[in-house]
Amino acid sequence: MVEFAPEVIDTIIRASALLGAGFAMIAGIGPGIGQGYAAGKAVESVARDPEARGNIITTMLLGQAVAESTGIYSLVIAIVLIFTI
Amino acid sequence: MNPGPQTITHLFGKSYLPVTDTLIIGWVSVILIIILAKYLTSDLKLRPEGKQNIAELFITAVYDQIEPMIEGEGWKFLPFIATIFIYIGFSNLIGLVPGVPSPTADLNTTLGLALVVFLVSHFEGMRDKGIWGYIKSFGQPVIFLLPLNVVGELAKPISHSFRLFGNIVGGGIIITLIYQAAPGLIPVPLHAWFDLFIGLIQALIFGMVAIAYIAVAKQ
Repeated sequence: MVEFAPEVIDTIIRASALLGAGFAMIAGIGPGIGQGYAAGKAVESVARDPEARGNIITTMLLGQAVAESTGIYSLVIAIVLIFTI
Repeated sequence: MNPGPQTITHLFGKSYLPVTDTLIIGWVSVILIIILAKYLTSDLKLRPEGKQNIAELFITAVYDQIEPMIEGEGWKFLPFIATIFIYIGFSNLIGLVPGVPSPTADLNTTLGLALVVFLVSHFEGMRDKGIWGYIKSFGQPVIFLLPLNVVGELAKPISHSFRLFGNIVGGGIIITLIYQAAPGLIPVPLHAWFDLFIGLIQALIFGMVAIAYIAVAKQ
């Protein structure tokens, strides 16, 4: 059994927390794809019916905001991991 | 570097009553909004001109957002929703002043606002459906989904508040990093993006989601 000095253990904990923050932000892929898909569909709808542009943009923003939630959760977790440990 | 709200002083010298900079800026922005509103609505005329046009344009725009989603009760919810729009929009814009943190970059502010929306939506649901109908609405469509519905309702204020908080704090951290790496004029366009565009869009989204929560609770 290898005994580590306390400073080494602290460094390992800090390094793991920073690595974890990086891994947490992988969740940013999902909202990116989702928001892009919503924006693309909105462009299609506006091209088909330019009259309803205002309504489509409002609905798109609302849907994108909800799709963004998971990305924001991972961002908050990453911030907590970076700044509290 | 600590991105959170900084404690400036303690109320009455008690350690459990901290006064943070975001709290002070929040109160300052409330006072500024009151002065602005008093100025815009002073000497109202039947035929609007000048500053009254600005106020009426804003009120009509908010009303047009509420009315399609909560039919027939647009004027009833207008003061509540318009207050959310103005306060969050103003709080995000005040972050443009160098050295002044946005009050919305503090989870206490956003969670407070989200809890107010949560309470209003459930109170309206209770009043529309009656107590028994309100309780029964958690067992829809089958009674086995009751725990899922309760957890889903409790998750609403959390996601609602974290969305605004995360957007503003994330933008603030990126701007701070750019300021350290490249001072001068380089971060200025980033302020335009993160404070002006994201700030106003997030205020719009917070209000729209609040309208959607109230509309869902009333059905």
